[in-house]
Amino acid sequence: MPAPALAVTGLGLVTAAGIGADTTWERVCAGVPTAARNPDLDGLPVDISCTVPGLDPVRDVGRRSPLTHDRFIQLGIVAAREAVASSGLDPVTWDGARVGVVVGCGLGGVGTWEAQHRRMLGQGPDTVSALLVPMLVPNMVAGHLAMELRATGPNFVTATACASGATAIGAAARLLHDGTCDVVVTGGAEAGVSPLMVTGFARMGALSRRLDEPAAASRPFDADRDGFVIGEGSGMLVLEREEDARARGATVRARLAGYGASADAHHITAPDPEGGGVRQAVRAALRQAAVVPAEVDHVNAHGTSTPLNDAVEARTLRKLLGDRASVTSVKGVLGHALGAAGAIEAVLTVLTVERSTVPPTANLERQDPGVELDVVHGAPRRQRVRVAMSNSFGFGGQNAVLVFTSA
Amino acid sequence: MSATYDKLVDLLVGRFAVERTEIGPDVTFRELEMDSLFLVELVLVIQSEFGVGLDEDAASPDDTVAQAAELIESRTAAAAS
Repeated sequence: MPAPALAVTGLGLVTAAGIGADTTWERVCAGVPTAARNPDLDGLPVDISCTVPGLDPVRDVGRRSPLTHDRFIQLGIVAAREAVASSGLDPVTWDGARVGVVVGCGLGGVGTWEAQHRRMLGQGPDTVSALLVPMLVPNMVAGHLAMELRATGPNFVTATACASGATAIGAAARLLHDGTCDVVVTGGAEAGVSPLMVTGFARMGALSRRLDEPAAASRPFDADRDGFVIGEGSGMLVLEREEDARARGATVRARLAGYGASADAHHITAPDPEGGGVRQAVRAALRQAAVVPAEVDHVNAHGTSTPLNDAVEARTLRKLLGDRASVTSVKGVLGHALGAAGAIEAVLTVLTVERSTVPPTANLERQDPGVELDVVHGAPRRQRVRVAMSNSFGFGGQNAVLVFTSA
Repeated sequence: MSATYDKLVDLLVGRFAVERTEIGPDVTFRELEMDSLFLVELVLVIQSEFGVGLDEDAASPDDTVAQAAELIESRTAAAAS
């Protein structure tokens, strides 16, 4: 029996472009990068990032938010509220037992962790906050959304590094397919721009060193790319079975038609150069969506701007899909929001399908000759997109691919 | 009320986002939506702001604000004698 079609009925975004899905959409379509020097990273080997501007926790989340929420939870709450509001569903009246929450998060409350650890080392264990653990553990973003939304169905966080958000959406789809839930709020949230995390990624050699020119640092698929720029944010979607969404007269923004997941089983950080795991995930996602590779109109690539990721992803996509599909990476504008990236990009893929517009890949000036793909750059492209794929690949070789189709 | 009480009220407002109008001497911390985790935080703040030593379970959610102020005063007096 085929899985029931799933409708995306709500969207929310908090990114380095600002608060609100439309704000981010406009910025990625304008192709204006958000990367900038970050004073909090002064003196570190890499001091540039893409951080969310203008989020006031008291105003935007709640008066006690600074006491109880790490930043990744704040970002998640703001994006989830937008997603639920835009779905037209009302948490006051819905049957919360039928509402699930599945959120991807790769790190958790690292900012809180680092601050409290400093306090313990400097002033002793008696000065450590009793709220340390509830602020730092990654599952708390889903836990807070349950409280926020009166959602008492299955509630969990997925961690597949930079694929976490996409993995969450895939797991959420299952809860609708098997009838466990009627509504799932799903996406990703991450606030990993902390001194220790940035240093860790820098030590891995994963980050761009174009520090004197931050806006040009994240340049997916460009010949001169040299690493990613760390970002943060949250993307959230409301999913329902399409039949239910239609019955209540909701606007179906797009369909979530397929999800595929795999592991490279290759290396702790490097992708399998043959792209075997990616191929497997793409094929599984397309199979579930009942589409063939030649029908894929558009790919929202993982496209981190690291030399290796983009080369392997491009080669694998070319082999699988040929050069017909338009390809973009929004990381040129937004940087890499780690565990939230897959969800942010899923939201932007839905908007691409809904609005028949492909945002450009920022900073793509000289396409890497090894990237034999139609990478959109310079300006947004008007394109009818019936089938779109969103790729997410995590360190550890964890791959998640989502397929969205037009409603 | 005492200067200690007033200072405690200021801390509740400034550090714990409690509405000033909700606070009164006979109001309990539970009524101010401050559970045991918040009270561990409050004890930390009291220790640094009043310079007194308190056990981390010195205050409970069912204590009133006035009781907490009295506790601080008794510890301040004990430290001075």
